[in-house]
Amino acid sequence: MSRTRRDPRNEREAKSVASNTRRRFDLGLVASTSRRPRRDPRAEFASAEVEGRSRRRFDRTQTTAAIARPIAEAPHRRQEEVKPATRIVETPAFLVFAVLEAPKNRLSRFDRQVLGAARMLADAKDGGGAVVALAPAGLEEVGAAGADRILPFADDLALDDASRAAQLRAAMESLEPRHVLFAEDGRSADLARRLAASTGESFLADVVYLTAKQAARRKIGMTAEEFGAPPRLVSIGEDRVAAYAGAPCEARPIEDETHASPAAGSAIVSVETIPGDPASLSLSETDFVVSAGNGVSDFEAFKALAAELSGTPGASRVVCDAGLMPRGAQVGASGTVLAADCYLALGIAGAPQHLQGVAACEHVIAVNTDLHAAMVERAGLAIIQDAQRVMPALRELLEERRNAS
Amino acid sequence: MKTTVLLSAARHPVSGREALARLEAQAIALATRLGGDIRGLHAGPESDALREALGVGLSKIDRIDAPNGSDPMEDLASHLRAAGPDLILAGRRGQGGLDSGLLPYRLAERLGLTLVADAIAIEAGSEAGTVRIDQALKKGDRRRVTVRLPVIVTVHPLAPPPAAFAYGAARRGMISTHPVNDPIRQEGQGSEWEERPYRNRPKLMRTASASSGDAAEKLFVDPDPKEAARLILDYLERNGIRQF
Ligand SMILES: Cc1cc2nc3c(=O)[nH]c(=O)nc-3n(C[C@H](O)[C@H](O)[C@H](O)COP(=O)(O)OP(=O)(O)OC[C@H]3O[C@@H](n4cnc5c(N)ncnc54)[C@H](O)[C@@H]3O)c2cc1C
Ligand SMILES: Nc1ncnc2c1ncn2[C@@H]1O[C@H](COP(=O)(O)O)[C@@H](O)[C@H]1O
Repeated sequence: MSRTRRDPRNEREAKSVASNTRRRFDLGLVASTSRRPRRDPRAEFASAEVEGRSRRRFDRTQTTAAIARPIAEAPHRRQEEVKPATRIVETPAFLVFAVLEAPKNRLSRFDRQVLGAARMLADAKDGGGAVVALAPAGLEEVGAAGADRILPFADDLALDDASRAAQLRAAMESLEPRHVLFAEDGRSADLARRLAASTGESFLADVVYLTAKQAARRKIGMTAEEFGAPPRLVSIGEDRVAAYAGAPCEARPIEDETHASPAAGSAIVSVETIPGDPASLSLSETDFVVSAGNGVSDFEAFKALAAELSGTPGASRVVCDAGLMPRGAQVGASGTVLAADCYLALGIAGAPQHLQGVAACEHVIAVNTDLHAAMVERAGLAIIQDAQRVMPALRELLEERRNAS
Repeated sequence: MKTTVLLSAARHPVSGREALARLEAQAIALATRLGGDIRGLHAGPESDALREALGVGLSKIDRIDAPNGSDPMEDLASHLRAAGPDLILAGRRGQGGLDSGLLPYRLAERLGLTLVADAIAIEAGSEAGTVRIDQALKKGDRRRVTVRLPVIVTVHPLAPPPAAFAYGAARRGMISTHPVNDPIRQEGQGSEWEERPYRNRPKLMRTASASSGDAAEKLFVDPDPKEAARLILDYLERNGIRQF
């Protein structure tokens, strides 16, 4: 008998984790004898956890997430973690550009996802790449979102698209990034196509799946997809790649000495930007909805509040059925499914049909008298209070702030 | 003014039948409002989509008899160079083909024309030889650019809805067929990408505070209404929704 005898007790003891509550064992810590990397179902499970919920929730739909997202440490080990040091890439082996839109000088969720994708490509295999965020100068939080460098590149609406493309092309020629990532949205999508057409670089549009080895996109309706190694120019679809969640990066500002010559012979005579008016926008297009449910009785005050908050008014079905708000304002499965960033629900219970309509909203604020309403569970900020009393207080405070400034 | 509307061989998103893409029908509606001489242009084999285009407002379509699956760019470019339209309209993305939306950009590059993306309205400019184009930006913002003709414009889904289909007009309309200019050219561009059947790829789940990370203080029971108002406004400002 040459095999050594196992001692299960000692093995278990070796896996115990310091904890002040109850004895805990990290059974994932197995010294593997085979060379095949061992799957750690616990860590995979923990990494699928959606953060910031009162109740634990797991996003098990994502196959990409397990790859894109660094496998999070199990929560009980996270407790004794010190603040991570800033990651510094001194001499990058190659660069990955992330073109950010940063509306209102803030990173949007989509911008973070583009940075997350860039981070993944920069860290792939042997790593050593640096992420260059092309964003307005002075943008904070890009470091935490995963950028090693920041190259000023303003999303100036007055500048015509061709000159922006020329500017980016000059930066690409002087810094020679391995990949340039765009959001498949608005001006970024336009910019990506301009660059693809003018440089003839390979370009994959509206990518739905991205890893360091492979990028895939849909074509021919929803019947086929084309795939290949990530090309130089990639535009990624929204909610396809997880945002970066690791240690903050340094976001060192860099300069690009070459200056693009303005696009020659542009036919554009004048450019004028007209900001959208939330009151007249359709529910599907707006970014902020102020919505009333059965808990609201004073609709004059509600409409005035929506206007003062410069949000688009919405309502639940009960309110529309009662004729208190127009049918066009109905939010939900049989009304409008929103794409807004923020939803302020006043006196709405949060029936499943209604919640379907706000599934895409990142920020939900609920004002409700019922602590156990489903909308309160869904909300990022929940206030258990009478909506009739909160509305005038909100209007008063808005008035105060307007006078103060 | 001479306008050309680029028509692709689109497929219906559900049935997969040949059908006119909605964006191209909207492009036809925009061109009709503007008036002038309007023609459709398609490179590829006969398609039911072209008849449909005749039914929603076009009366003449030029079809370049290019083989199926070839890159339409060169054929379209040489035809457009000869025809010399002032305004070229295209959809912002195809439907049921490659769907990359790259073709108008490549055409603009080849013909040396200015491209204005995502139009929702086009009207004649105050100067002769210019048009004023309203572009749809995100969150309901609009941008009005005045540009000198000729220009290529791609159409955004928020443009006015297309005209209703008229059977008589579809019967009356003319489709004239042109031979390919340069038949020796290698056809059937090999795609640089591999292809496989579609797979369902669910999107990431969106949740509150994934980015704001303030889960600790999210529920307030019975605060003073004043305090509640302050909490709401602070939340809106902190997350960059509105500044007051
Ligand atoms: C097929 C089908 C489709 C549907 N589609 C939709 C849809 O698209 N959209 C939609 O909205 N609904 C839809 N519904 C209806 C849905 O099921 C609910 O009935 C509806 O959403 C409830 O609206 P509510 O929350 O405003 O009203 P209620 O359910 O009456 O809830 C009122 C809430 O307000 C709170 N409240 C009461 N007084 C106050 C106060 N003074 N201050 C603060 N809070 C207060 C209460 O605690 C309660 O939570 C659909 C239903 C069906 C069957
Ligand atoms: N074969 C074609 N002939 C004419 N126009 C085309 C053709 N293919 C595409 N287009 C135009 O280009 C737009 C974008 O197509 P795509 O680049 O395939 O997404 C379409 O909406 C059409 O207006």
